[in-house]
Amino acid sequence: MSEEQETPQENKPIDLSKDKNPEPAPFQPLGNGPVTPPPFQQPPPFGQFGGGGFGQQNLPNSTASLVLGILAIPACCFYGIFGLIFGVIAWVLGAGDMKKYQLNPSLYTESSYKNAKAGKICGMIATILSALMVVMFILIIVGVVANPNMFENFLRDLR
Amino acid sequence: MAQPQHSFLDWIGEHLFNCPFKAHFGFDCPGCGLQRSVLALFRGDLIASFKFYPATIPLIFVVVFTIVHLKVDFKFGAQLIKIVFAGVAVIILINYIYKIYTHQLI
Repeated sequence: MSEEQETPQENKPIDLSKDKNPEPAPFQPLGNGPVTPPPFQQPPPFGQFGGGGFGQQNLPNSTASLVLGILAIPACCFYGIFGLIFGVIAWVLGAGDMKKYQLNPSLYTESSYKNAKAGKICGMIATILSALMVVMFILIIVGVVANPNMFENFLRDLR
Repeated sequence: MAQPQHSFLDWIGEHLFNCPFKAHFGFDCPGCGLQRSVLALFRGDLIASFKFYPATIPLIFVVVFTIVHLKVDFKFGAQLIKIVFAGVAVIILINYIYKIYTHQLI
């Protein structure tokens, strides 16, 4: 039975080694606080926002997702390819951050969650628009290659 | 000695990027008109900017508002960005279909 009392002593150097790793953000020690008690993850997020949210971090990719999602539409000029790339990246980043927030909502701020959600939706919209453009371009290119006369008639109809 | 009568905006207007799609196929892509529209906006001509490309003004609004929102963090910010962005996409689509029907593509 005395061996059980020795085991926490063995854990002590591990805890010290964790404390010795200083992370650059000053909010880290506050942010790590809610991790240790798991029952804080069970209540719905709305109750926690009323209780003051200091010690919460921003989601890591929410800003990048939002910015990329918005830049995707001006970027779609070059055959829609850059718009497609930016939109898909924004979509994936936003969706990943939303999952991260839903796993433990007490860790992150709600505003960054909203930003990630907006970035995901903007990325979806830009992806759909760029995909429409790419499909149209592919159809036109296939048409030009397959039947050039048809394309000339098509141009004449557009005039 | 000819004096430089052209302004900087005129110089930019003669040196815009060419649309690679229009260079190859000879008619506008859904993004054509954006640069001319932004130039018209710099000159202060809102109506000409709208005629070149109707989605420019809301697009610039979204970009500027996003920068301000990331600094200041409005409560309604993310919602407003989503709505205006969807509006921009719809405007671009409608503008292109309208251009097809009114034969303005070439």
